[in-house]
Amino acid sequence: MKRIVGLPRSPRVAAAKGVPFSSTPELKVKLPVWRSRMVLFMLFLAFLALICRALWLQALSTDFLQKQGESRYARTLELPATRGKITDRNGQVLASSVPVRAIWAIPEDVLEAPKEKLRELAKLLDMSEQTLRGKLDSDRSFVYLKRQVDPQIADAVLKLGIDGIQTRKEYKRFYPEGEVMAHVVGFTNVEDVGQEGIELGWQKTLAGVQGSRRVIKDRLGHIVEDMRAIREPQDGKNLALSIDSKIQYIAFTKLKEAVEKNKAKAGGIVVLDARTGEVLALANMPSYNPNDRRLLTGSQLRNRVMTDTYEPGSIMKPFTVALALETGRVTPETYIQTAPGKMTIGTATIGDAHPHGVLSVAQVIEKSSNVGTVKMALQMQPQEMWGMFTSVGLGQQPKFGFPGAVAGRVRPYKSWRPIEQATMSYGHGISVSLIQMARSYMIFARNGDIIPLSFLKLAEQPVGQKVISEKTAVAVRRMMEMAAGPTGTAPKAQVPGYRVAGKTGTAYKLAGGKYVNKYVGSFVGLAPASDPRIIVAVMIDEPSGGLHYGGDVAAPVFSEVVASTLRAMNVSPDSSVTDIIIPADAAKESL
Amino acid sequence: MSGRVNFLMAVALGFCALMLVNSQYQARRLFIELERAQTQARQLEIEWAQLQLDQSTLGKHSRIEASARQNLNMVPVTPARTQYLTVAAK
Repeated sequence: MKRIVGLPRSPRVAAAKGVPFSSTPELKVKLPVWRSRMVLFMLFLAFLALICRALWLQALSTDFLQKQGESRYARTLELPATRGKITDRNGQVLASSVPVRAIWAIPEDVLEAPKEKLRELAKLLDMSEQTLRGKLDSDRSFVYLKRQVDPQIADAVLKLGIDGIQTRKEYKRFYPEGEVMAHVVGFTNVEDVGQEGIELGWQKTLAGVQGSRRVIKDRLGHIVEDMRAIREPQDGKNLALSIDSKIQYIAFTKLKEAVEKNKAKAGGIVVLDARTGEVLALANMPSYNPNDRRLLTGSQLRNRVMTDTYEPGSIMKPFTVALALETGRVTPETYIQTAPGKMTIGTATIGDAHPHGVLSVAQVIEKSSNVGTVKMALQMQPQEMWGMFTSVGLGQQPKFGFPGAVAGRVRPYKSWRPIEQATMSYGHGISVSLIQMARSYMIFARNGDIIPLSFLKLAEQPVGQKVISEKTAVAVRRMMEMAAGPTGTAPKAQVPGYRVAGKTGTAYKLAGGKYVNKYVGSFVGLAPASDPRIIVAVMIDEPSGGLHYGGDVAAPVFSEVVASTLRAMNVSPDSSVTDIIIPADAAKESL
Repeated sequence: MSGRVNFLMAVALGFCALMLVNSQYQARRLFIELERAQTQARQLEIEWAQLQLDQSTLGKHSRIEASARQNLNMVPVTPARTQYLTVAAK
């Protein structure tokens, strides 16, 4: 194309000059180059913006967007796991979880509801309207109104149709046996976490693992499809305890009667299976109802059998005697002069309640003579006695996994002074828990060996550890049978139909480092004496009903519990069924 | 020739597509059914636990003892009133 150089000033001038029409002046307008560049650039920018946006959506924020998309149709469902049941050895349920609901609210939304509805809500939740308003008067967006509500009530609440009221599934633990089992089973808190007893000690086993599943839901809320594999909830395992609820009930009621009758401050009882080491019953007084813990006090909560140590008193004597027999220092027929019923060691004097004169070793146990025991003990090395106490588990941390179980205290033998060795031989100056005491008597019940205790039902019998010879064990058992006979310190421990063996203990209590005029009466025994099946240990703390000797306050409990327990266990009697003799004035044991 | 093959393939494809729709539908329907059955199983399990608990509550030893003593006028057995039988050795 021919270039036209120079533009005419006006068309008329152009026409006059004879310029052809095909070359209109508009066509000849020359636009500045930057304008087209500008358009091109703008288009480029627009594309760039699109690309950036695409990159942003597809690459950088995909996760977020996919999540948002998913949240429109995908749901994660929590699959709550149930806490395992606790049953006794026969399958009777002792603790079980039942689904209930927690009612929660978004306060802002709820407060907009009409007044009558709030009043109805308060009524359903069994609280005053003011309390309800108080709970709702909060800045938070989540407030629990009430937890552990019955499903029926929760449904009724939802039916009110108040905006902002929701429910959440949770579990409530029920304890059908109530106060009878309270100290063994324990309880859980509102979050289903164990707080006491077995519930605490075996929390890991009992608690399940919550599961979850990711699903697609349709418009109507039906689950349409699983998006990935379900994480199955793992329910907690059920626990079968060694406790027999029948024996537990017997032990608890008898203990309760004794504590009330003797106006005692507290009491504890434990029944062991001598063959397997299983704990058949364990009860404390005072007890509490685990289903209603509003008025719970520390004294009720205390599991005295496990966590309280006390000076056992004379129930330690059989160990001293067993050691003396085992080391060949005495035989059951060795005679010991205990007159005049007093003895001075260093600056201290120990004595018997009644002077006895010459006693055989067997009679020392039968009459519970302190002087006789001390005379045997002082022939021995502290290390030997310490070894004896330690090997039966005294002063040792118990290994059965029950929370709060204490070790007691047996001081290292190197620091024993003669007077301490003497008092320890009859159970003063050392501290033990009742369950340790019951377990230590296994060496007499099991012909010399000792096995670990178990709170869970065992499938097989544990292997014992030999402590003393069978001959010694049988001999001491024979002496303890005399102690629990008409001429011993505990005639009230006798059981019609069964031979029993046991030892009373009465000890002063320590208060502020000094012995005070308060007592702990206890009795540990085994039955039937011919072939021991159970060991029963009873402790009555501060009896103030006039009687305080272990033979008067604890032995009757032992007798009643043994009679009922052996019958419940179908153990055949090993003695003739005759009236038992309880002398009016039984031998008094020494403190 | 090739036109006919194409046609047949198209028909087959259409058929398969419909089958897919159908089986997807069936899968979802069965899934909902399974879901319902599982819910029922859970419900029954809860009910069972509840009943077990009821059994324990009603079979409490203290309750049994109270009704045996009060309503039935029973007394505990003593060895003195018990006839013990020994199984003869075989």
